[in-house]
Amino acid sequence: MSTLESLSPADVGGRLRRVRDIANFTQQEAADKIGIARTTLVAIEKGQRRIRINELQRLAKLYGVSVNALIRNEAVHVELAPRFRKLPDAVDAAADYAVELMSRLANAEVELENLLGIKRAKNYPPERPILRGNVKAQAEHDALDLRQHLGLGNAPIRDIVTLLEMEMGVRVYVRRVDSRISGLFAFDDELGPCILLNANHTRERRAQSAAHECGHLVSTRSEPEVLYKDAVQKSREERYANAFGRVFLTPSRPVMQKFQEVTAGSDKLTRRHVIELAHFFAVSREAMVRRLEELNLTKQGTWDWFQANGGITKHHVKQVLGDRAVVADGQKVDAARPTTLRLNILADEAYRQDLLTEGQLARLLDLDRIELRELLDDLEIEGKEADAAPNLLC
Amino acid sequence: MQPPTFSADPTSAVVADASAVINITASSYAIQILNAMPNRFIVTDIVVSELESGSSKGRKNAEQLHQLIGGDLVEVVTMGDEAAIHFEKLVVGSARNTLDDGEAATIACALEIGGIPLIDERKARRICDQRFPNLSYGCTVDIFAHPEVRRALGDADLSTAVLNALRKARMRVLPHHLNWVVNLIGPENAAGCNSLPRTVRMQESGAVLRIRD
Repeated sequence: MSTLESLSPADVGGRLRRVRDIANFTQQEAADKIGIARTTLVAIEKGQRRIRINELQRLAKLYGVSVNALIRNEAVHVELAPRFRKLPDAVDAAADYAVELMSRLANAEVELENLLGIKRAKNYPPERPILRGNVKAQAEHDALDLRQHLGLGNAPIRDIVTLLEMEMGVRVYVRRVDSRISGLFAFDDELGPCILLNANHTRERRAQSAAHECGHLVSTRSEPEVLYKDAVQKSREERYANAFGRVFLTPSRPVMQKFQEVTAGSDKLTRRHVIELAHFFAVSREAMVRRLEELNLTKQGTWDWFQANGGITKHHVKQVLGDRAVVADGQKVDAARPTTLRLNILADEAYRQDLLTEGQLARLLDLDRIELRELLDDLEIEGKEADAAPNLLC
Repeated sequence: MQPPTFSADPTSAVVADASAVINITASSYAIQILNAMPNRFIVTDIVVSELESGSSKGRKNAEQLHQLIGGDLVEVVTMGDEAAIHFEKLVVGSARNTLDDGEAATIACALEIGGIPLIDERKARRICDQRFPNLSYGCTVDIFAHPEVRRALGDADLSTAVLNALRKARMRVLPHHLNWVVNLIGPENAAGCNSLPRTVRMQESGAVLRIRD
């Protein structure tokens, strides 16, 4: 049994400050709301004065957390939101929500991994800070370098999310957020790299956003980013990330080779050619055409021409690809669940091992009790006494 | 098969955590059940707050609880000094040895007032056994199985109440109550309740779990 007396005041104070920051209160505001002097709160956060349980309860309630969630030994309170708030462009309410969501998911995941003794592999790509000179050339070089590092060769990347997660140890969350937001990126020493992609976007757009964020992971790792769908990318960092993304998904030589193969010597670029190429590289038709323009495989303005002449529609795609047109989007389906599949599985294991109660898990995953119970039931994993399977682990 | 008896004297208070409140309100017979119970039925203010924060997700538990409070069927209490000491020890420490605030406050209040906490949670029961071996506790099913509740509702409505709690709230049933629950609601209904253990559901539906050699 532990009490507040047994905890280091500096540790408790540090946690309180981090949680206050995440909840976006100033010291004055928080002190006023719970009826203590600002100087008292300052002393508490600095570890100079021990907090009392009733003060802790009032602060926890104000910050929207439980005392236990705030104070238990293994709790993770990494503050991503304050870093985003420091960005030069104001973060709007929609982005705020997305940041809070990503932060909450990552914190929960890390706490559960720590509790279960799961060590996540950290195969982060080598960092390549942006140097003076041609940004696009650097991005192209670094993207091809990473492809080689990952052993991709000339192969298209059909599932960039799994690649990021499995090969690079990135936490990727595909969730539904405001449609104006394509993605988020943040890096923290404790959480590792975290990317959020928008489940409301198409698979192809998400892939492009993911590749863009991968560019940030390589070049500007310590800077968080909100990627807006229609943003005009002007800064060197953004031009780097865009170029990186394009080359990472559609590298020049493989595109040229495939182009030759698909067009088979034809002197016209048809909708069929675009559809086949886009499908092969798992990018959008627009991204594919613009890449062809960039590589001088087709005239500048080709995409605009298609747009002005009926576009390249889903109907065209169905005609060309037939059954191949239907690409299962498992991540979009998963995004409809109240929390991520990985968190489902971690939570279930933590519950089975009696590491966390229903109350603790519901708070950690921001679910209500019934949602949590449905999640645990639907995974259909039973305790040892009810499961006939033998212990198969070595 | 006799239902388990709720080992409480009618003068001692029952202190419910969020889980018990959710299960009882989901039964759709909360008013009849609480009217029938001879005991005072208490929740802590922390549990009320916990349920209110669930309201935003569309769950009506807090609303229903407020109606029961308004109807004087449920009392809300705040932890006193003695409860605060117990509470602190139940929420501070490692994850394995602590509880969330509502769970901790329920036990702490029960200790302070000499009441009986309702704990459905396996880990919380373990912690109670370890730290408060003299504390008598129950669970939600003990309420449904109370002789006065059975008398007031009758078997048919009681069966409906328990089935509602299982289906709508995915109520958890502890091993020692499984037979009683299955006998009450019937094997066919039990087979359709995902919150019951798979072995109970599979047996009741007549399916046999075979493992290939």
